[in-house]
Order: sequence, then C-alpha cells, then structure tokens
Amino acid sequence: MAKKGDFAVVGHDQPRLDGAHKLTGRSLFTDDVVLPGMLHAKVVRSPHAHARILHIDISAALALPGVKAVVTHADAPNLYVGIEQPLFRHEIVNYIGDEVAAVAALDEATAAAAAALIKVDYEPLPALYSIEEALEPDALLIHAKARGNIAWQLAQDLGDVEQGFATSARVRTDHYTTNASHNCYAEFHVAIADWSLPDKLSMYTPTQTAILFQKSLASALRLSDGQVRIMNLNTGGGFTGRTSVRPHHFIAAVLSRKTGRPVKLRATADEEFIACRAGGEVKYTFRTGVSETGRIKAFEADITFDTGAYVESQMIVLTLTSSYIHSLYKIEAARYLGRLVHTNNIPYYFHHGGGLAQMAFGLGQHMDALARELGMDPIDFHLLNGVTKGHTSMTGTFFGSCGLAECITKTAKQAGWKRKYGKLPPLKGIGIGVGAMASGAKGVFKHDTSAAFIKIVDDGSMSLFVGLPDMGQSSHTAMAMIAAEVLGARPTDITVISGDTDIVPLDVGALIQRGTFNTGNAVKAAALDARKQLEVLAAARLGVKPAQLVFRDRQVYPKGQPDKAIPLKKIVYDTLHSREGRFVMGRGFYNSPKESGTMAYSFGAQIAEVSIDPDTGFVTVERIVASHDVGRAINPRIVEGQIDGQVFSGMSQVLYEQTLLENGQVMNPSRLDYRLPRSYEMPEVEHIIVESIDPFGPFGAKEVGEGPIVCTLPAVANAVANALGEPVNEMPITPWKILQILGRRAKTGA
Amino acid sequence: MQLPPFEYHRPASLDEALATLDRIGNDAAVLGGGTDLLINLKLRLERPAALLSVRELPELAGVSVDAAGTLRIGAGERLTDLATHPLILARHPGLAQAIRAVGSQHVRNMATLGGNLCLPTRCWYTNQSENWRGSQIPCWKTEGQVCHVIKTAPNCRAIHSADSVPALITLDARVLLRSSRGERELRLADFYRDDGIENNALLPGELITAVLIPPGRARSVFVKAAARTGLDYGYATLAGALTGSNRAPKSLLLVAGSVGTVPLLLHKPAQIILAQGLTEASIEAAADAAREDLGEVTNLFTPPGYKKRLVRGLVRRVLNDLRRQKLPDAD
Ligand SMILES: Cc1cc2nc3c(=O)[nH]c(=O)nc-3n(C[C@H](O)[C@H](O)[C@H](O)COP(=O)(O)OP(=O)(O)OC[C@H]3O[C@@H](n4cnc5c(N)ncnc54)[C@H](O)[C@@H]3O)c2cc1C
Repeated sequence: MAKKGDFAVVGHDQPRLDGAHKLTGRSLFTDDVVLPGMLHAKVVRSPHAHARILHIDISAALALPGVKAVVTHADAPNLYVGIEQPLFRHEIVNYIGDEVAAVAALDEATAAAAAALIKVDYEPLPALYSIEEALEPDALLIHAKARGNIAWQLAQDLGDVEQGFATSARVRTDHYTTNASHNCYAEFHVAIADWSLPDKLSMYTPTQTAILFQKSLASALRLSDGQVRIMNLNTGGGFTGRTSVRPHHFIAAVLSRKTGRPVKLRATADEEFIACRAGGEVKYTFRTGVSETGRIKAFEADITFDTGAYVESQMIVLTLTSSYIHSLYKIEAARYLGRLVHTNNIPYYFHHGGGLAQMAFGLGQHMDALARELGMDPIDFHLLNGVTKGHTSMTGTFFGSCGLAECITKTAKQAGWKRKYGKLPPLKGIGIGVGAMASGAKGVFKHDTSAAFIKIVDDGSMSLFVGLPDMGQSSHTAMAMIAAEVLGARPTDITVISGDTDIVPLDVGALIQRGTFNTGNAVKAAALDARKQLEVLAAARLGVKPAQLVFRDRQVYPKGQPDKAIPLKKIVYDTLHSREGRFVMGRGFYNSPKESGTMAYSFGAQIAEVSIDPDTGFVTVERIVASHDVGRAINPRIVEGQIDGQVFSGMSQVLYEQTLLENGQVMNPSRLDYRLPRSYEMPEVEHIIVESIDPFGPFGAKEVGEGPIVCTLPAVANAVANALGEPVNEMPITPWKILQILGRRAKTGA
Repeated sequence: MQLPPFEYHRPASLDEALATLDRIGNDAAVLGGGTDLLINLKLRLERPAALLSVRELPELAGVSVDAAGTLRIGAGERLTDLATHPLILARHPGLAQAIRAVGSQHVRNMATLGGNLCLPTRCWYTNQSENWRGSQIPCWKTEGQVCHVIKTAPNCRAIHSADSVPALITLDARVLLRSSRGERELRLADFYRDDGIENNALLPGELITAVLIPPGRARSVFVKAAARTGLDYGYATLAGALTGSNRAPKSLLLVAGSVGTVPLLLHKPAQIILAQGLTEASIEAAADAAREDLGEVTNLFTPPGYKKRLVRGLVRRVLNDLRRQKLPDAD
C-alpha cells in the first residue's frame, strides 16, 4: 500500500483552486450571465391543487408594452417533462404551482406584470393531499393510467424470505415517517436559453449532469444531441436535485424559439420551494428477523413515497432504496416493496442520496432498536452484520475494499462509547449511525463513462478538460490534484476547463458519487497518456527507461537520483520545439468494466451526542465523531469539508427541516420560515479518515459525496432516542414532539 | 420579487416630516430601517405611494437620562447601537438582550427602535408573495372576512413578534408620539391593540419620536426560544423585570411575546412570586400557572399545545435567571 509520503500531491491538503474567486465573489453563476437582447420570463402557475381549466385569456398580457411572447399548451402540445408531465396544462391542473403559461418580456418586472394579466378560469375539483387519501379504494384518479394512484412500484424478493423469518429467533417491525423537505441550494433554479436559430439551442444552467440535460432536451425538442449545448458555470449545490431537466429549462427554450432572442427564467424565492421540491412524505415499514446471536436472517422494507402530481425520474428512488440494505449488511434474504403514490401535492424530487438519507433515519433507528431488544450493544450488532472486504452481496456487488468495521471501532473509541452508552444523565444521549454509499454505478446508460483531455503548453502550464461539474464539492481541485500527481506538476499549474458540452469530453456527471472514482480514473488515464509523450524525450536525455522516470515537484528524474532532475517545463518545451514539434495532449476515459451496478462502496460510522432542553424541547447536537472510509483521501481538507457539510445537512434534516404543506400549499416557502439552521447550530465534528485503498479507484479513492450523510441521520436520531428513553419515529424531530413526550412522561410519573 | 415604484422623501427635520406626512396623507408610510417595510412592499402587502425616511431625523436620535432619572431612547436609533449602549446595558440588561435578539447583525445594523415597536403582526397566510396569496381565500388582512388561523375569530389573529416590546413593557416604558397636532405620551402596554391589523394606537400623521423608561432599579431578563440562533422570529419570548429582593419582591412584570396578537402580561405567575418570594418551589408553581393567562392560543407557526408548554418553560427560565441576577448599578 502506497503511503502519503509516496505522493507529492495526493493525500496532502490542497486549498480549493477557485477559493479566492468564490470568497471574493468573482465566480460566475448562471444568473450573472447577460446576453445581448436577452428577455426575461415568468411562469403562470395554478393556484389550485386540482382544477379544470375552463378558459385562458392571454390578450391583456400580450397587449402590455414590453411583452414579446406568451406561450401556453398550444405552443408546445407534444412536449413532456419526464414521462407524463406536459410542459403546460390546458385541461386539468394537478398541483398548486402547475405550469399553465409563461411570458417573455424586456425585463423581469414587465414579465411579472404580464403574467398577472393572464386570466385563467378554473373549476376547482376535489383533491388528494396525502398518501392515505390517495390510497383509499374509491379515491379519485389523478392520472387515469396510474390505477389506485400508484404511479410506479417495485416488488422484489431475494432469497427465501419466508423461510428466513420463519427460522428467526426474533422478528421486529417498526414504522417511520419522513416529511417533505427541500434542498435549499445556495443557487436558485435558473436557465438561460438561446434558441434564436433553429438548429442550435444553447443553454446556461446549473447542473450535476450536462450530458443528461443535453440528451433530454434534444430528444424532447427533436434536435440532435450536438445541436444542444449546455453551459454550466459554477453550480450552487446539487444534493441529487439537479440531475434532470425541469420545466423551467423547457420553458426558457420554447420562449427563446418563439421570440428569436435569449430568454432567462429564474425562480423566485417561493417558486424555489413550490415548484422545485426535494422530497415528499415517505412512509416506511421495516421488518427484520434475527438469530439468537443477532445475525440478520431476513429483512423486509415496505416504502411508500408521496410522489406528488407527476413522475419524472423518481422511479430511481425505488431502485436505490431497494438495494441499500445489501451494501451495508450481509443479507441472506430480503424483500422490498416500494411504491410511488400520486397526490395533488407538488411533485417529489430528490434530496440527498436519492431517498437514501431519509431512509437511513428510520432504518438506522430500527436496527438500533433491534439490537437493544436483543440486549446487544448496537456496535456489536453492526460489526456482526456489516459487510466486509471480499463479500459479494445478493445483488451481485463485490466489495473490493471495505473499511466499515474499522470506521465503527475507531469512531467508538474516539467517542468514548463504552464509557458513555447507557451511562449518561437524563436528557443527554449518544447514538451511532452506520452507512454505505456507491461510488458510481451503471444504470443511466449502458456505459458509465467519464473522459478527460489534458493539454500542456510550453511554459509547463496545463489545461484539464472534464465534463464533471463542480457544485461546491471541490471536484475540480481533486481532478487537478490527480493530474498533477501523475505529471509531476502542482495543482495550481492546472486550469480546469469544464461546463460546456461543445468543448469538454463526455461525462455522465456528478451523480451517484461517481466523480472522484470515474472522472478521477479518466483524468489519471489522460495524464498518463500525456506523460507517456513526455517520457520519450526525458528518457533519452536521462539515459534511462521510461519506466524508471519519476515525475515529481515540477521535475523529472531517474528513480532515486533527484540530483539529475530536469525541470518538467524544459521537457515540455523541448518536446514542442523539436523536429517533431509535438504538442502534448493526453486523452483518457474510464468506464466501469462491470455489466451493471457499482465498482466500489464507501463506508462510514458516526457517533452523535445530544442534549435536550426540557424547557423548550430543543435538541442540541453537541458533538459528532465522524469516520469515513473514502478509499483514499485525495484532498483530506476537502474530505473533512464534505463530512462537515453532510453532518450539517443530516442533523438539519433530523431536527429542523420540513416543507409544511396544507391542502397542497407550501406554508413556509422561504428561508425565513423553512427553518434551516445556521452555523451556530453546527456541532463540533471530529473527523477520522479511514483509507481502505480501493483496488479500482484512482489512487485507491472512492467517494465522500453522500456517504457521510447516511450516517448522520441515524446517529442523531438514535442519540435523541437515547436521551429521551424512547424513539421519535417521525422526521423532523420537532421541539413540540419532544415536549409532548416529556409532558406525557411527567404526567404518568415515569 | 421587486419593489413597486414609490416616491421617496428624506425630510431634514421633524416638522418637515410631519408636514410631509399631513400633505401626502394615508398614502405615505414611515420608513425606519426598512428591514420589514421593504419586504412587505415586495410582497405587495402594503402599497404606499410614498416612503418617508425618519431614521436620520435629529429629533429621533440619542440616548440620554434626564434629571429625574428617566431614560430617553430616540426612535430613530439603530438596534446595533442600542444593544451595546452602556446606559442600557448597565440599567436594563433584559432590554439589551431583547434588542440583541432581533434578526441578525445585518438586520440590526439597519433596523430602528421605532420600526421594531411598529412591526406589523405576522402570519404565514399573509406574509407570502402575491402569487402565493392568490391560491388562498382572502383573510381579514387581505380584504377578506375570515381568519385562517382561528376560523371563528372576528378579527385578524396574526402574531405580534417584535422582540424589544415585551422587555420594554416590563420596564413600564412609555412612547412619545408626535403629529402636527402635537405630542402625546402613552404607556407602551396601552399602545397595542388586540387586532392583527390595527395593531397599535398610531393615528394618521403620527409617528414615534422616543421611548421613555422611568427611573428605578430592577433586575431584568429576556429569553427567546427560536429554532435557530439569530435570523429568526421566536416560537415564544418572555421578558421579566423584578424589583425588591428574592425573599421580598416588590414588583414583578412578566410579558410573553410571539404567542398572541399582542404582548401578553402573565398575571398569575407574578402573583405567586409576589406572594411567596422567589424560591425553587414558587418558581415551579409560577411556571405551572402560566398557561392560565394565555387564553386561546393559535396554531400559527407551532402547535398551540407547544406554545403553552414553551411559555411554562420560559417562565421557569426567566424566574431562575432573575433570581440569580445581581441588581443593576444605581443610576
Ligand atoms: C430576516 C429577518 C429577521 C427578523 N427577525 C426579527 C426578530 O427576530 N425580532 C423582531 O422583532 N423583528 C425581526 N425582524 C423584523 C424587523 O427587522 C425588526 O422588527 C426591525 O426592528 C424593524 O425596524 P425597521 O427600522 O427596519 O422598521 P421598518 O421596516 O422601517 O418599519 C417597520 C414598521 O414601523 C413603522 N415605523 C418605523 N419607524 C417608525 C416611527 N418612528 N414611528 C412610527 N412608525 C414607524 C413603519 O412604517 C413600518 O410600518 C426580522 C426581519 C428580517 C428581515
């Protein structure tokens, strides 16, 4: 195993390459872009959760000076967002916020005024506001095709589940609910479309995956992929929420085509919550059978998602939540029953890990409760059942590396678990959460390819071209570090070029935590390709074989003879300024050799300590010890930053966040009333980076994109249960639930 | 969301301000720091034709003590300056805590005391964009005939959540009001009305010039239970001011904020403490008695049962803090 000292760049703390730009407000985001002749758009949305459109009158809007176009269903009759959501409604609206029309005008205020002038007559219809109502046998049908309002379902048995439960010494069942939530991106949803010429649509927009945006827009708008150009500058947060095109992308495009001018459409603060929800309500039932000694014999998950008015690509949450258990525990028999249910609430979209973070809230509490029921320390339970290196799951995943046990034991030791668990005073609690997360997976396409180019100019500076977006996770810095390590450069020698599908090579994107693993491998290959071109001249000069060359610290030298070093930039210069005149360009790509699924999983364990204020019911997360098996930490500082961010969001989801819905209406569509905590609420985080050195990852790296958060939610929830002496099975765990429990307890004298 | 167009006036003197107010009439709104008013304009909750900025009027400035020991705080003073003002810190620690609890540093850097005293009530059926409100039946505040919070209510039940107010009421503060017709003085406790719309006694053409706090040495405390530290309205707040000793308290005022349409004076717990002194047992009894003063509590922002439990917890906390606090220095 290579040690940190073996590397000049990898494994060393590297400040973000764009840190100064971000800190000084110089980084450009989509909303900063102003194109010549650009118009501004506004959407007319349904004020009803369910209604029939009787009449739409756009005449007053069109007559308003400054208005350049109004579009309705008639302008895009065959355009669908996802599989069943027409771009504009003309007969029935299905949720408060449903798109009915849109306006483009010279400025935003005029567009807003015009949108207000569009008169839509509605006949309100009865509506369904909850999973329960939608599943009533005689409930109205929101979409005729979705019988029983079930939009999608997945039922899957692996192994002999009945036998597993029958032979279990103990079977435990628990129910959980997680409420609707929002990602609270730093950057609001926005798109600028320029489709002024019919054969090229250019769009600026934040995204996690330009390629999916390109393909979806092209196929829906009947263009070829190459006719669609996606430009993502910086992306202000992803959280699984920017993985597919949404209505605003299409609306900007349609308006641009109609007006022949670029069109910007950006969400207002409340549209951000109303039309761009993250998760809906989810109900979970977990049933687990165990042997006398606590080994899991059978597992069953039954999960129902409120998917809201439409399905886009939410089916993925069924796949993801069905396989999660197999990436964490050694399972011999498992049943999964999952369904997406239509309601007249805003459509479900993804939030952190495509449903996995929220699922972990209940799953982690269920396993903790099961361990307690067995009289077992939860740590022993996780160690007994957790996956290990070399294990192959029922779903076919081979674990080439696995630091789960190391994470658990190191975290427990540092947190003082043995000293504290079960021994804390009342209203103080400690809890553990464990988790696993895929580093990339096939499933979106037949391939899971990332590609990279690198060009080296004769002063030794380099440009690295990748399609992987940086949405805050510092992926570009990591990519530069990987290339720098291979080429003996410094990360600051490298400019990362990204965010334009006309320029950069293919990349499936920053999803399924595939960036470091897949794009990292591609960058490594491209850098090796470039290095090979430089080795020719260097080997000749130094009189050694290429394999004996060391590229390090902007020098090239024979192994063990740094005194013979030639500056890297001289090698580059002489390679170009030669008879051959070679301009060094490296190319590389990476595609998982597997037929489907995932090459590697990351693992983690977190221990949370909380205290409860009996006067207010507030929970304070005092300390989190977080370990994470990242394979190898390419940039330890950023690994810690990623862990911090996810600890924050995880505890925030458990204790604070909820999109409050009343009759389909979002009651708290603002950052003031959607109570996201602030840095003051951030607990102390102690980081333990575990390096299991994955055989397939670049330099052994896996992921730190979503892995930590699936540990935070159960850790905090279990700590609260530990402090209260009873679990709270609904997320968020609000102060009122806590005071209610304490009040009941005081009354019964318990 | 964008601001609607409006005229902007920045008078140089109070007389000019009052004359301008009279001239423009009901179409004018007084602008303090604008931290609330400008948001309400964006939400189209108010549609004044003109804004009249008063925060730099010399007559609204200053913090001073007169010969009789009355503390005068100008209504145009910035909350940032007041939260750290030596006179306020020394005499009324509870008031300093309350002012510090408003919004965040950025908000307090702009916000004025006058604006805080006149902060309109809040409700999540009304403090929303115009489009949002378009999907609701109008309520009392939006020219309708119903309250979404308490369906049977004859008027608006939105919540009063200005943090300085409970603290000032416990100090028996008065407000100085000026119009072109003259000056009048009101006890702050009498300034508010149990109506979410006509929430205070300001008359057309009138504005607040100063707050007066009578002399006297009281211990004072303010606590705020908010989901997050700063940038948040309270789920409930509680201010308390006490004169006399723990054993023999002379007066005690407890005022709860952010639970109702006006700041609520809690009589029952105060009576218990005045009768029994400040002891561990009396504090528990007082906390238990708090809910008797609350009346009908709404489910606005939090479940009503929570507000009642929370006020109980805050009474306990405030009384415990008062019990430990040393009497502030003499004037
Ligand atoms: C994010 C955020 C968080 C907030 N959190 C809190 C909080 O925790 N607690 C809290 O109390 N407030 C909070 N606020 C509301 C507001 O910022 C404060 O109440 C502030 O003190 C208002 O003062 P201002 O000078 O900015 O008032 P303005 O917005 O200028 O005015 C508010 C009202 O007072 C009137 N007014 C202003 N000055 C006078 C005067 N001299 N005479 C008569 N009428 C006058 C105005 O006409 C208007 O009706 C918050 C605001 C924001 C944006």
